[in-house]
Amino acid sequence: MKKNTIRGLLAAILALALVLPAGAQTTDLDAIKARGLLKVGVKVDVPKFGYKDAGTGVIDGFEIELARIIAGKILGDPKKIDAQGVTAKTRGPLLDNGEIDLVIATFTITEERKKSYNFSDPYFTDGVGMLVKTAKGYKGIKDLNGKRIGVAQSATTKKALQDFGDANGLKFEFAEFNSYPEIKAALDSGRVDAFSVDGAILAGYKDATTSYLPDRFAPQDYGIASKLGNNGLSKLVNDTVKAMKASGEMDKLIAKWELK
Amino acid sequence: MNPGPFALFKWEAVAAEWPVFATGFGTTALVSLLALLLALALGLAFGMAGASTSKGLRGPTRVYVEFFQNTPLVIQVFFLYNGLPYAGLVLPVFAVGVLGVGIYHGAYVAEIIRAGIEAVPKGQKEAAASQGFNAWQTMVHVVLPQTRRIVLPPLANQAVFLIKNTSVLAMVAGGDLMYQADSWAAGNLYYGPAYVVTGLLYLALCLPLSRWVRRMEKTSAVQA
Repeated sequence: MKKNTIRGLLAAILALALVLPAGAQTTDLDAIKARGLLKVGVKVDVPKFGYKDAGTGVIDGFEIELARIIAGKILGDPKKIDAQGVTAKTRGPLLDNGEIDLVIATFTITEERKKSYNFSDPYFTDGVGMLVKTAKGYKGIKDLNGKRIGVAQSATTKKALQDFGDANGLKFEFAEFNSYPEIKAALDSGRVDAFSVDGAILAGYKDATTSYLPDRFAPQDYGIASKLGNNGLSKLVNDTVKAMKASGEMDKLIAKWELK
Repeated sequence: MNPGPFALFKWEAVAAEWPVFATGFGTTALVSLLALLLALALGLAFGMAGASTSKGLRGPTRVYVEFFQNTPLVIQVFFLYNGLPYAGLVLPVFAVGVLGVGIYHGAYVAEIIRAGIEAVPKGQKEAAASQGFNAWQTMVHVVLPQTRRIVLPPLANQAVFLIKNTSVLAMVAGGDLMYQADSWAAGNLYYGPAYVVTGLLYLALCLPLSRWVRRMEKTSAVQA
């Protein structure tokens, strides 16, 4: 008797789990159209990708332009976007609870993350770079054997460097920080010996006392993420990215923002 | 099947990688314990000084208490971590945690102990003096035992705050429970179960402490 009740409950939960996302599929694009606004999570601290001008308060960059193009596809007006700054800690929850429709924020695609979110095809590929204090005289990655490297939480840098180290007999220590300015502060104070994130992001933090190591590692593919189940939106986004790549429009946009 | 933040496979991932959380839990427990001892030592010394009649003792106590109570712990820890290295002092991050949290809470403990000492009726000191006790003997044998019962509940609250405040170490890559949870959850984005488990682990540290002090309060009330 009791067993039957439990079984019944489980079946009901299972049925709900199957039905709910299916119901969402048809409405995700409609919901955005009804709202008349595409809500996008972007970076506000990565120059050229997504950067908020402290003076004017305007967020602009390569990824904001992508958001505009997608808004144009859905709503017919590229200006209908609501760009919101996200961090490593907030971008997942904000997608899950529906506060934002898309994340376009130097979000590296990994197999593990694909289990939680839809990712588009990569729109940009970057490599992991290293910023060090010029005065320390490091010439290459091998000089950092046994040193402490500052990385950003939720970046895939740590894993990429560990894999590289394992393959080349190098060992690194890691310190993870919540934001890029915190890593820069730790580099300046000597707490970490190198500041390592995706090369494009690093460009915003180079100054007179620091320099890049020549090496670049582990290609990082950036994708546009949406909530699992929002299949209408995710297909439209992916089709847009594919079309832009095929037509050369994506390359033009990358060139316009001088990304490497 | 269920794609939400609490999907079953995310719980399984937490279970499979439990050593990450255990390591953080151990660091948090150890930093908390040492910081608590430091806070109690500082609090006792500054609390007694603050309750004394000597201006020379009370002055420095006020400065210590007001400074550390009225600046954010986050800034104090950031200074210990990123500021001191410019003066040539690079403390290990573990020590940053013990010192930062211990000194910060020491200021609160000092105020609790000062208030506790001052709450003991004047007649008690006068009675002790009439029996030939000197100031130190009065403090140790007459005042402090009575203070203990008064200060135990607010001290327990401080201990609980202190444990939770060790999570500022997450900001400076301190390897504590919050840091490990942030790091783990940020990598794979299985933040749902990660933060639930982390919250429960903090609860497991703090709850027994509150319960224990509850019991202590009762027994000392009976003895008195």
